[in-house]
Amino acid sequence: MSKLRSVIRHEYLTIVKQPSFWIVMIAIPAIIALIGVLTILGNKNSADRIQEISKDIKNVAIVDQSGLINKDVAAAAELKISPAEKINTLRDKVKSGEKEALIVYPSSLKKDRSYQLYLSSDDLTKMGAISTLADNLLKTSVFLPLGSPEVIAIAQGGATADMTFYKDGRETAGFNEYVVPGLFVVLFYIIFAFSIGYMLTSVSEEKENRSMEMVLTYVQPRTLILGKLLAVMLVTLTQVAFFGLLAILALVVAPHVGVTVALPFGIDLAKLVFDPIAITLGFAFLFTGFLMYAGFMTATAAIAPSAKEANSFSGVFFIGAFIPFYFIYMIATDPENKIVSFLTYFPLTSPVVSLIRNTVGNFNGLEGWIALAVMFAFMLVSIWVAVRAFKLGALEFSQTIKLSSLFKKS
Amino acid sequence: MTKPIVHVEDFSLTIGEKKIVKNLNFDVLPGEVFAFLGANGSGKTSTIRSLLGIYQQTTGELLVNGTPLTPESAAVVGYLPEERGLYTRSKVLDTMIYFGELKGMTRDDARDFSVAFLERVELADKANIKIKKLSGGQQQKIQLGVAIMGDPQLLILDEPTKGLDPVNRKLLLDIVDELQEKGTAVIYITHLMEEVERLADRLLILKDGVARAYGTVAEVKEEFTSTSIEDIFVQIYKEKSNVVGAEAAPSKKKTTKKEGK
Repeated sequence: MSKLRSVIRHEYLTIVKQPSFWIVMIAIPAIIALIGVLTILGNKNSADRIQEISKDIKNVAIVDQSGLINKDVAAAAELKISPAEKINTLRDKVKSGEKEALIVYPSSLKKDRSYQLYLSSDDLTKMGAISTLADNLLKTSVFLPLGSPEVIAIAQGGATADMTFYKDGRETAGFNEYVVPGLFVVLFYIIFAFSIGYMLTSVSEEKENRSMEMVLTYVQPRTLILGKLLAVMLVTLTQVAFFGLLAILALVVAPHVGVTVALPFGIDLAKLVFDPIAITLGFAFLFTGFLMYAGFMTATAAIAPSAKEANSFSGVFFIGAFIPFYFIYMIATDPENKIVSFLTYFPLTSPVVSLIRNTVGNFNGLEGWIALAVMFAFMLVSIWVAVRAFKLGALEFSQTIKLSSLFKKS
Repeated sequence: MTKPIVHVEDFSLTIGEKKIVKNLNFDVLPGEVFAFLGANGSGKTSTIRSLLGIYQQTTGELLVNGTPLTPESAAVVGYLPEERGLYTRSKVLDTMIYFGELKGMTRDDARDFSVAFLERVELADKANIKIKKLSGGQQQKIQLGVAIMGDPQLLILDEPTKGLDPVNRKLLLDIVDELQEKGTAVIYITHLMEEVERLADRLLILKDGVARAYGTVAEVKEEFTSTSIEDIFVQIYKEKSNVVGAEAAPSKKKTTKKEGK
């Protein structure tokens, strides 16, 4: 037990003491936040600038064959609507640069929902400004008969739906039901992105730096692997705690700096549902899936002679974890589909597919528990393969272990 | 009669289709330096790995203090393997403490030993730097420190002086002398025959997994009518492989006869 504790402490501290661990942890949310802020500021600045330029553009000709453009709206923008016969003349003036642009709203506008813009240059800013001007002229003219600004705002931006869901005659929390089990999907990918690779690195580096033989003199291979697995789980918990604290901090601090944090899909923290069965299954899928992948990673690292080759082999597992995203709509909406059934029980895809299905609650009857039992069996196989590969390959420094040798009686 | 610390009897090892070691018998006595010699690929490392329980022998028994060695009972052994290395991303002191713990020492004892050892080998100022920043020779000293932690009864050194400069080589050999004086048995694997002449009490020369010479240094020299272990080694390796076989390995009777110095 004390050796296991020593292995866990050593492996955990080796990872978390690396500056790169914290740099990545801090850099990822920092970069995401920075990109978000820059995008918002950039879009706002561009939109403001285009809006400003469009206000200043007066040398623009307008031809309205659709009859939708209100003359007063055009006049308010200090623009005049020209007769349709002048199209060719006005287009020539645009060509020569005498006019900045010509906007033609054709008679087919209602049907085709398209109009023509002729521009005197290919300046992107000017193009944006004149497009905005043309669009505003059309929208304002169309919406004007509606009357009040409130009604126009609804017509332009729509309205939010305050949804109420019922299931089996009882009101449910709707999308808020998916949030808590859905966190396990997010957690799985956090673990996958940050932690699973540590198993690979930990074993292959130990092989590569030749410390394995000294270690194996004093520690059973299964103790070493278990220690590494538990250490990686602790690392994951550290990361989750860090990101969780960061999220809580953002939610607490944001209102004080005048930023409104809008949760997507109408998520309301007060309406979250904590379904014990969904949480139990989510946790079980996460834990079992993590151990299964970690087992495969350990086996890969033990079989391959170097970290570089182990990394190449491990690509298969990464593909397996991301494949379900190509089928996510099908997984969420069509649980009876044969492909969904296959992906639910196929070892490399089962963790993510099961977690998604648990999130949207489309497991039928005992199907979730059966999927868990199958995944658990695969997890045992992966750990057995890992220990076996480790015993065979840990001290093979120059050649790849044959897969067939894993299943030969020693 | 002194009870051997290591007793290997009728040991054979086959990996896949390859017979690595054939019917090997030898003992190592407390407090002696036992030179375990052979060319590359002769089966030395496989024998040691089997003795340590890392490899499972095909036949025979390999005992340390009368029982097969397992990781749980390996604290009595200090091992410096040929394929050696340390956690390059970890600090010197942390690594030594970790290995001390794996050998059953408490953290405090492992730390005390490590600090004292680093002082002794003039690396005290490197205690808190990462191993990858040490030179090859400095790393080798740390590896030796890890091997001798916890006062092992049996020390297995596989080419311990490889890559060391003369000053550090002398330092290492002095440490081996000290351990021997304290009663530690040393299995010493080397290709440097002058080290064998200087250190060894007894020796075994392995060729193609078969013991070709075994006994005290004097006995072996007498048997081969030579005054140089190097000449004996060359003579054995010049013989055609098909001349020797498992039958040439020393029998249990012969082992017993040549046990003493």
